[in-house]
Amino acid sequence: MGNLLKIILIAITIFFIIFPIFILFKYSVSDRDSVVTGGRYPEPFWPFEPNFKMFESLSVRNDFLQSGIVSLEVGFLTVAFCLFLGVPSAFALARFKIPGLAILLFFLLSVRLFPDISAVIPVAEQFFKKPLSLLPPVISVALAHTLLSLPYTIYIAKGVFESIPRDLEEQSQVLGASRAYSFLRILVPLALPGLGAAAIYTFLLSWNEFVFAYFLMFQGTESTLPVYLLRILTWSPQKNFIAAISLFICIPVIIFTFAVQRYMRTGLTAGAVK
Amino acid sequence: MLRKTKSYSIWEQIKDNLFIIGITIPSFLYLFAFLVIVLFYLFKFSLGEGLPILSVFAEIEFREALWRTFWFMLVGTPLQLVVGIILALLVYESFKGVGLIRSLFLVPIAIPALVTAVIINLLFSYPFGHINDLLLGKYVFFPKILSFPLNFSGSEFFSIGLAMLGKVWRDMPIAMLIILAGLQTIDREAYEASEIMGASFWQRFKYITLPLLTPAISTVLILRSIENWKEFIFPFIIAPAYPLLGVLIERLYHVEQNPQLACACALWLVIFIGTTTFLFTFLTKTVRSQLIKV
Repeated sequence: MGNLLKIILIAITIFFIIFPIFILFKYSVSDRDSVVTGGRYPEPFWPFEPNFKMFESLSVRNDFLQSGIVSLEVGFLTVAFCLFLGVPSAFALARFKIPGLAILLFFLLSVRLFPDISAVIPVAEQFFKKPLSLLPPVISVALAHTLLSLPYTIYIAKGVFESIPRDLEEQSQVLGASRAYSFLRILVPLALPGLGAAAIYTFLLSWNEFVFAYFLMFQGTESTLPVYLLRILTWSPQKNFIAAISLFICIPVIIFTFAVQRYMRTGLTAGAVK
Repeated sequence: MLRKTKSYSIWEQIKDNLFIIGITIPSFLYLFAFLVIVLFYLFKFSLGEGLPILSVFAEIEFREALWRTFWFMLVGTPLQLVVGIILALLVYESFKGVGLIRSLFLVPIAIPALVTAVIINLLFSYPFGHINDLLLGKYVFFPKILSFPLNFSGSEFFSIGLAMLGKVWRDMPIAMLIILAGLQTIDREAYEASEIMGASFWQRFKYITLPLLTPAISTVLILRSIENWKEFIFPFIIAPAYPLLGVLIERLYHVEQNPQLACACALWLVIFIGTTTFLFTFLTKTVRSQLIKV
């Protein structure tokens, strides 16, 4: 009896999770008749003539491709800034006794609890003023995204360094390796998968981010993909066009979210030192 | 690594640890600089000419938005908690395929909030959309409930409700994961003992699960209430006609070109978040001391 209820509840939940994603996919492969019904017939749950025309037309739209490139640039710049600033800090936080460590970590967390929508106007005002206004929008958005994702990067990277036993380095040095050699040959290879996960996480955060990109790119012509989607929405285009862009934004996020999770779970060095 | 010898002066200590300081400082400096900038602008604008931080209360738009956001938070937070608890209970005990189901339950977190909001707008579109067609009885498998299509985005109740639905859908894995972590810390022997003594499911939930779960519940309540106060994307896309505080801030800044009032709103938002966090912390502590009788 209890089991049956549980199975039913799980089935309902899975339906509620999958259904919206299915609908998004359905719209993105819909033909015109399945979207513009005019009320003569109900909207079908599967298009009359499924096709990939929307994606084909997207692939030759210059404004869409331009936004995609801007999104990629912002994402990679954010990753670069975050790793450059965050990884050394995380290494220091994980390896050295730093006075006031708890306060620093609390500060990192509290920065993230500060509402984005409250922080965005001051940040935007600062970026609109000289000297920061001289930066191209791509860089200013990347700097703003760095602000958002740096605490996460530091947290993840700190966890990565903490999971690598210090003894490994010390043992290699006992065996005659120099500090630099043991750093490059022991620490870096062991940390790389975890840091890769941190980089992917940072990239996804930037790829998804809407508020800061929207405020910083409000007046310009350049836009990241989420901002492009919003601009498209104001023309109220056909549903299949909206759905195709939305799905395009989703795909890398869905793929990489699960890739990152797998990386996080692998106990890399479990049992390396006994 | 920090060496502590009595003869060391502060300068020598700094000099000795220059490497550590050099690699730690930049990132914290970057974050700290922007925190200072944010607070500086918020206070400068909202305490400027005409004291916008007080005069903002004279705006009917602000009072309405505040009221809406308050209800959004007050209804949305417990809703997310309940959904989180139910999902966590469903996948807590291990059975065949539990890993797959847990991964499936995590899917919403991989869908960007903007896209989730767009999907809801597509589903509930007016006059012809899936939900309207469903309620009008156009599909064979569902009875006719309405005789004319509903314009969801034109009704305050429905548009705010849909924004909340989107928020709950997208963030339920977060609540679930926190509750799941809380459940996993509960000692199984407590359940076994209670079962031997003949406790019912409800008694076990009330006297064991709930009291021991209060730390996790309090975390969910606090984090989710903060998230609900500052929610922007869902109401911005789904309920633009009925602004919440976040949407109002955007409108004051972009449409009315009034950064002073916008910053006053933003500062009030921070104050409300702080107050709610304090209240929820206090509340859950009190409840916990009531539930756990030693």
